[in-house]
Amino acid sequence: MKEKRTIHVCPAAELPPGSRKIIDAGDGRSIGVFNVHGNYYALRNLCPHAGAELCQGIVTGMNEPSAVGEFRWTREGEILRCPWHGWEFDILTGRSVFCPEKVRVATYETGVETFDAGVDEAGMVIVRI
Amino acid sequence: MAGESEVNPGWSLIDCDVHCVPLHADEIVSRLPAYFRTQGLVLPGGPGLPHPTGVRRVDARGPRGEPAGSLPEKMQEQLLDAYGVDFAVLIEAKLLTVGVHPDTHFGNEIARAHNDWLREKWLPADPRFLGSMLINPLDPVAAAAEIRRVAGSERIVQVVMTSATRIPLGDRIYWPIYEAACEAGLPVAVHPGAEGKGVAGQFTAGFPASYLEWHTNLSQNFMAQLTSLLCRGAMSQFPELRFVMVEGGFGWVPHLLWRLDKNWKGLRSTVPWLDRLPSEYVLERVRFTSQPVEEPPSSDQLLELLHMMQAERTLMFSSDYPHWDNDSPLRAFPRLPEEMKERIFWKNAAELYRL
Repeated sequence: MKEKRTIHVCPAAELPPGSRKIIDAGDGRSIGVFNVHGNYYALRNLCPHAGAELCQGIVTGMNEPSAVGEFRWTREGEILRCPWHGWEFDILTGRSVFCPEKVRVATYETGVETFDAGVDEAGMVIVRI
Repeated sequence: MAGESEVNPGWSLIDCDVHCVPLHADEIVSRLPAYFRTQGLVLPGGPGLPHPTGVRRVDARGPRGEPAGSLPEKMQEQLLDAYGVDFAVLIEAKLLTVGVHPDTHFGNEIARAHNDWLREKWLPADPRFLGSMLINPLDPVAAAAEIRRVAGSERIVQVVMTSATRIPLGDRIYWPIYEAACEAGLPVAVHPGAEGKGVAGQFTAGFPASYLEWHTNLSQNFMAQLTSLLCRGAMSQFPELRFVMVEGGFGWVPHLLWRLDKNWKGLRSTVPWLDRLPSEYVLERVRFTSQPVEEPPSSDQLLELLHMMQAERTLMFSSDYPHWDNDSPLRAFPRLPEEMKERIFWKNAAELYRL
C-alpha cells in the first residue's frame, strides 16, 4: 500500500463550520473538504452515479424514513446533495442515504496541523490521501 | 383445484377480467330502496366518442339478442367451456361508472344493489364464477361500510372500483376503503371505462377526440394512479394492501418502475414513507391483468417486455370477454417459458385470490 501524503487545504480560520473548500489533489482527483459542526470531512468530488462534481451540491438536512404524512427533518448540515440528480450523501461517512451499503463516495482522513500553537491556535486543515 | 378441461388438458386457467352485465336495468333497479327505484338507472354520460361497432361483441349476444354478458349460460358456453376456464373473475364494467356520479347517495345505492345482484344471480350460477364487489370511491366511508357488509360472502374475491377519479387513488381520502379491504383480506382492483365521464378528471393533455384516442390514453391514467398509490403513501400505510390494475395495459410497467426508482434515489425526501425502491412495493403487492395484450412486431419483443416487468410475478391473464378487444387465451401470447406461462395463466391469480 502506498504511503499516504498530506495535502494542506487552508488555514482553519478560512474553513468555518458550514463551509467547504474544493481542492485539487494534484493527481487528477478533486476533493471537497467540509466543516460540519466544527469537524472536518473530505469526500471525493465525484458522484458515483453520473460523474457530477458532487461536492458543489447543497449542504442540507434530510427527512428520515417516517410514517405517511410525517416529515422528520434531521441531520441539518450533514447531508450533501449532488447538484445533478439530488442524490443524498452523508458527509460524515460518504454513504448515500438511499443505499448506504452499496452506493457511496470515497472519504479521506482529515486533520489540523498546528505549527506554532502559541501563535496560530487554529492551524492548517489537512487531508491525507 | 385446477380443473382438467377437455379443450386444454392440463391447462389451468384463471381469467381475471370477465364482464357480466344486467339483462335489463330492472335487475338492478328492483334491488334499490323505494325512492331510488323511482329514479331509474341513469349513469353519467360519456365523452361522446362511440366505438364504431359497439363495445360489446355482437357474436356474444344471447339467442334473442340479449346483451353480451347478460346470460350466465352463454358465458359458460362461449368462454368457460370453450377455453377450459377454471375460474372467471367477474367485473361489471358499466355500473363502475357510478364511481364518478355526482350524486354519491345514488352511487352508494347502485353499488349495494350490484353486489346483491352479483351474489344472487351470478355467483350461484356456476362455481367457476368469482365475484368483484363494487364500491363507490367518491364516498370512501360508505364504500368501507359496503366492503364490511359484503366481505366474507362466498367467492367474492376482490373489491373493484373505477380507475377514473377526481383525486388520484393514493390520496388519504380513500384510506377508509383500503383499511376495510385489508381487514377483509381482499385486493382492490380498478377498471377503466369511466374516464372522461361524470366528475372524473380528464387525461393530462386534455380531451381525446376519438374512441381510439380515448382508449389508447387509458394507460396514462393507470400510470398516474399507480404513481399516486406509491408516492402518496397508500402502499406504505397499508402493508397488507394488494392492488390489481385491470385492463390498463402493461407495456408501460417497466418504464414507470424504472422512472420511479430513478426519481426516488434523488427525491426520496419528498416521500419519506417510501423506505425502499418503489418497484419493490409493486413487485410484492400490485398485479396487472394482461388484456389488451401488447402486440409488438415480433413476439421476441413481447417476451423481453414480460421479462422486464417480471411477469412471472406481476401479470395475470385476462380475456375481457365479451368486449370487442378481448383476448383469446389460446392466441394472446406467443409460446412462453413453461414456468412463466403457469404463473401468468394460473399461479399469480391463484395466490392473489387465495384459491
